Amino acid sequence: MAWKFDNPLGTLTTDDQNASAKKLWNEETLGNITEDNKRLPQPVVGLMVLTIITAFMITFPLWGKRPTAAIYAPYIEMMSSAEVQGKSDAEAMAYITSQVKASGFEWQSELERHPLEMDDLRMIRDQLIELKQQGVDLREYNVVGNRLILANFEGNIRPDGSVERYQPWWDKGYTVAVFFIIFFTVGVGVAIKRLPEYSWQPTHGDH
Amino acid sequence: MFKYLFAKNEDIPAGSAAVFFGFSSIVWFVVGTAIGSFNAAKLAFPDFVMGSEILSFGHMRQVHVLAVILGWISMAFAMAMMYITPALGNTKLWSEKLGVWNCFLWNVGLSLGLFLLWLGVTSGREYSDLPWPIDIVVIVGVLVPLGINVWMTIKTRRVQGIYTTNWFFGAATFMVIIVFSVGNAPEFFQLTGLTEAYLTWWFAHNVLGLWITPVAAAIAYYVVPKVTGNPLYSHRIGHLHFWSVVVFYSTPAAHHLMSAPLPEWLKSFASVEGVLILVPAIAFVSNLLLTMTGKWRMFVENIEIKFTITGVMMAIPLNMQGGFQQTRAINWYVHGTGWMVAHAHLALLGFSTFLEAAAVYYGLQTLLRRKLYSLGLANFHFWMLLIGFTTYWVAMTIAGLIQGAGKIYEVPYIDVVIAEHPYMIARWVGGTMVFLGNCVWLYNMWMTARAGTVIPAGRLPHELAYER
Repeated sequence: MAWKFDNPLGTLTTDDQNASAKKLWNEETLGNITEDNKRLPQPVVGLMVLTIITAFMITFPLWGKRPTAAIYAPYIEMMSSAEVQGKSDAEAMAYITSQVKASGFEWQSELERHPLEMDDLRMIRDQLIELKQQGVDLREYNVVGNRLILANFEGNIRPDGSVERYQPWWDKGYTVAVFFIIFFTVGVGVAIKRLPEYSWQPTHGDH
Repeated sequence: MFKYLFAKNEDIPAGSAAVFFGFSSIVWFVVGTAIGSFNAAKLAFPDFVMGSEILSFGHMRQVHVLAVILGWISMAFAMAMMYITPALGNTKLWSEKLGVWNCFLWNVGLSLGLFLLWLGVTSGREYSDLPWPIDIVVIVGVLVPLGINVWMTIKTRRVQGIYTTNWFFGAATFMVIIVFSVGNAPEFFQLTGLTEAYLTWWFAHNVLGLWITPVAAAIAYYVVPKVTGNPLYSHRIGHLHFWSVVVFYSTPAAHHLMSAPLPEWLKSFASVEGVLILVPAIAFVSNLLLTMTGKWRMFVENIEIKFTITGVMMAIPLNMQGGFQQTRAINWYVHGTGWMVAHAHLALLGFSTFLEAAAVYYGLQTLLRRKLYSLGLANFHFWMLLIGFTTYWVAMTIAGLIQGAGKIYEVPYIDVVIAEHPYMIARWVGGTMVFLGNCVWLYNMWMTARAGTVIPAGRLPHELAYER
């Protein structure tokens, strides 16, 4: 068997093997069962392609990102501003969120997916200030309940040997998934190309 | 059965092992659904049967799950393999005696295992609840002998080709041995923590993905062309189905643990693969429904086709649910709720049960050379199963959505319990309908063996008219 680069959709078997396979396929019944060799209808092929695209689109790691400490840093800074003092919690929170939104904050969409109240901010404020003083990357810390904890995400390894904890929109799980799609496509392609060419149909399909 | 255990292989009538497996599977289905109905009653009526530890829900749930998976479903599979594999190879089962011993050890081992679970001797791992000595009995006394019989029957076939059904049978009997051996490793080697959690769900996922789903599909690949007389629509789509099951169904175990501290990349990978399970599902459903071309009247008239095609069509909602409920965007809402219970029953009581029932209906008639005793009772069984299952599935899906809302919005737990109560009653009603339908089925098949019209030599069951 050898790949025929000049005819990539053609069968991989030799003419003799093909003739033998066609004869067997036409004449042999397996427990009185026969098999045709029809192609998938085009709408179903479209559905398959849509499925594969959807599989990648809907499972972006991005969609499952937990709130990081970094997205609340502007909130914490504004908590101690003069404009907030004297306001009720609800008024203060409304003021802070509107100000951050107006500033064009880069993670505004994540803030809207993970809204907080003043009591929540009070619980994480001291921890966040302490982390900032340590100079760590706040994106690597998740807000879990009333705690800021190092994310369990394991990304690329930095030159110093530490592991990135900030969850990107793409990760190595996706890379492995892409490999699997290629592996699968090639594997099934080769398996099917051991069959007679796709245009050939056994004759017992007429009954 | 006992008289054949020590008989010579050539003295055992062909098909004996399959017949024993067939009736065993129905009995286990009756037992399994009876316990299921009992358990559902305890959830619907909390004061039902109080004061007995061994009859508490925690004990009985495990017995129900494993009676159905290892008793009903897997024995029906063994039955199907022991008559379909040789039929497709124009040969006899490699060893009828091994098959009879297989059936005997299976029933003894399962009874012992379920008795221990009933007493509370459990590994505590969902789906792999059996304690490890019983796991070894299952591997050595049940799965390996079954595999040997299937592989050797394929090897000694008297045709050149191997039909699609036998690809699945041969591969699934191999894969399930790996699944049991590796999936129970936490018990064999005292693995704990996240490793145990991951392997527990690796086992649970792959028992479905590499055993129940492919073997149920293999049955459909046999029954539809055999009974309709149509050729299978496409050999090449069979390849697409087979290889996509192996590649995409074996890999997404981590999607059962999307909220656990597993590496995020593993969840990303598992989640993509989880959606890609739709690839084999689409291939399978397309291939079988297109094989029905020109014979759709049999969906109404023939009981085996009615069961098979209903099962095939249930693969559509099953895989649509399964593909999407495990993505991060949806899983956070439905994880740990009755939605999952509904989904599991759609897989086991919906999709696969209808296909196994078709195999047992058709296989027992073929092997006993007796026409089905009563089409009326079979139709009663079908509708009790379908309406009962649907009632259960819809009720638990709604209950799951209520639980999800309660979980997210931190509704007091007791309020969620109260809101779910009507659905728990509906669950019990649906499950009880399935149980009653199965009792009728057992009677119908028993009467088929005793009083069914003899099928003349050279004819097949579906070629004869129904008489009752």
